[in-house]
Amino acid sequence: MWESVDAATEARNFAGIWGIDGPVLLDETGEYAAALGIRGVPTNVLVDAHGIVRGVGLTAPQELDEAVDALLAEE
Amino acid sequence: MPPAVPGDLYRPPFESRPPGQPDGMDRMDRMDHADHGASGADGPACAADLTHRILARVPVGMGPEAVVVDPVGGCAFVACSRSNGVTAVDLERAMVRWRAETGREPIPLIHDAPTGRLFSADARSDTVTVLRADTGERLAQVRVGEYPSGLGYHPGLRRVYSGDTAAGTVSVLDVDRMELVGTVPAELGAGSIAVDVTRGRAYVANFMSASVTVFDAQTLQPLGLLPAGNGPCKVVVNPVADHLYVANSLQGTVMRISLATGEAIDELPVERAPVGLCVSPDGRWIYVCNRGAGTVSVLDAASGRESHRIQVEQAPGDCAVDPRTGRLLVSNAGAGTLTIVDRPWLSGPAPAATHPLVGRPLPAFALPDAHTGQVRTTREWAEKKYVINFFASW
Repeated sequence: MWESVDAATEARNFAGIWGIDGPVLLDETGEYAAALGIRGVPTNVLVDAHGIVRGVGLTAPQELDEAVDALLAEE
Repeated sequence: MPPAVPGDLYRPPFESRPPGQPDGMDRMDRMDHADHGASGADGPACAADLTHRILARVPVGMGPEAVVVDPVGGCAFVACSRSNGVTAVDLERAMVRWRAETGREPIPLIHDAPTGRLFSADARSDTVTVLRADTGERLAQVRVGEYPSGLGYHPGLRRVYSGDTAAGTVSVLDVDRMELVGTVPAELGAGSIAVDVTRGRAYVANFMSASVTVFDAQTLQPLGLLPAGNGPCKVVVNPVADHLYVANSLQGTVMRISLATGEAIDELPVERAPVGLCVSPDGRWIYVCNRGAGTVSVLDAASGRESHRIQVEQAPGDCAVDPRTGRLLVSNAGAGTLTIVDRPWLSGPAPAATHPLVGRPLPAFALPDAHTGQVRTTREWAEKKYVINFFASW
């Protein structure tokens, strides 16, 4: 979550409003986002079972669905 | 929190210029003119630089969401949503001139040249704050509808329009008296407002309703509803092309609508999360801030095609053009900076087609869960396929 002030509270509020039940990890310093080369939000990072990044971006629903389906279809 | 911008990134473009000497822009202009003239190529002194250039990255505060320009005063004003204030930037020196407090979370700004006033809509205090543009002194604070996140302006009618997102209304202020004079019903998510001064019509982007409300800017009578794409976040008018542009932030497109007929012309693909828009003074170029990609898409208004992209900093929120110089000013919400781009209509190095991380191992992480505080690590998801979603609360 890209927040410069009170990130934990903002993240919890956001997750509550949008019903996000999965793990919400806090990158309060932005170091991890920088390590990934994330330049904005929203951004999705798709990771395969070998820990290899397979896609970055993928925010349009159809685009994300297709990328996830393709990855899940792999052996 | 986004990574801090190193201080050495900020290099005032003209700081070492002795008084009376031409600045970098002057030199660049002469080089271009020489190159386009009859003299031809005569070595490095006449080499053309036909690309845009990043002139400066000015630290302005936290969460800069919007920027407006006062060309006469040579100043840009940036609404810093997480600093709860406005920062004035001297465009000649690329330095901060003053900072002033507003209400909580100012998002859009309007500059009224006749009175020299700035208007900020403060989303979390439900107010519009009025400041003196020369000093930042607060003149008034007007209560508007719930969560105002967009502003529109009609200089002739002396009105500012506030899009009240949570209320689904537009609050109308008299610029001179700094008072509320009316309310217009819109739809849920009402935010950005553009005004077609020629026809006296205003257009409101309704983010949650995927629509644009049209109303008479003088009588305030609703005139209809135009369909938009998902998450319309910004609307602007191009009086030269007679078009309205709508940035559909959730589907990565910009829609062109005829102002004459109200009909959609086409929809132009850009990058992730287009949330900011502005039009060059000659109406030829449309600049689109792609918040998810850290870029600005430059669209040719005549052809409706993307000409090129400019890489700026993290999470660009909005942009404006300085009509004196043609320079593009971009407020980068994630980086806390204002980027100044010289000759933005020219292309530059082509960005990589694929993100550099694709095909490489995900860097290891150990980060706390926002709900439980438990530190979660990459190891927990080993041998699983998963998606990490970096999201925003705008």
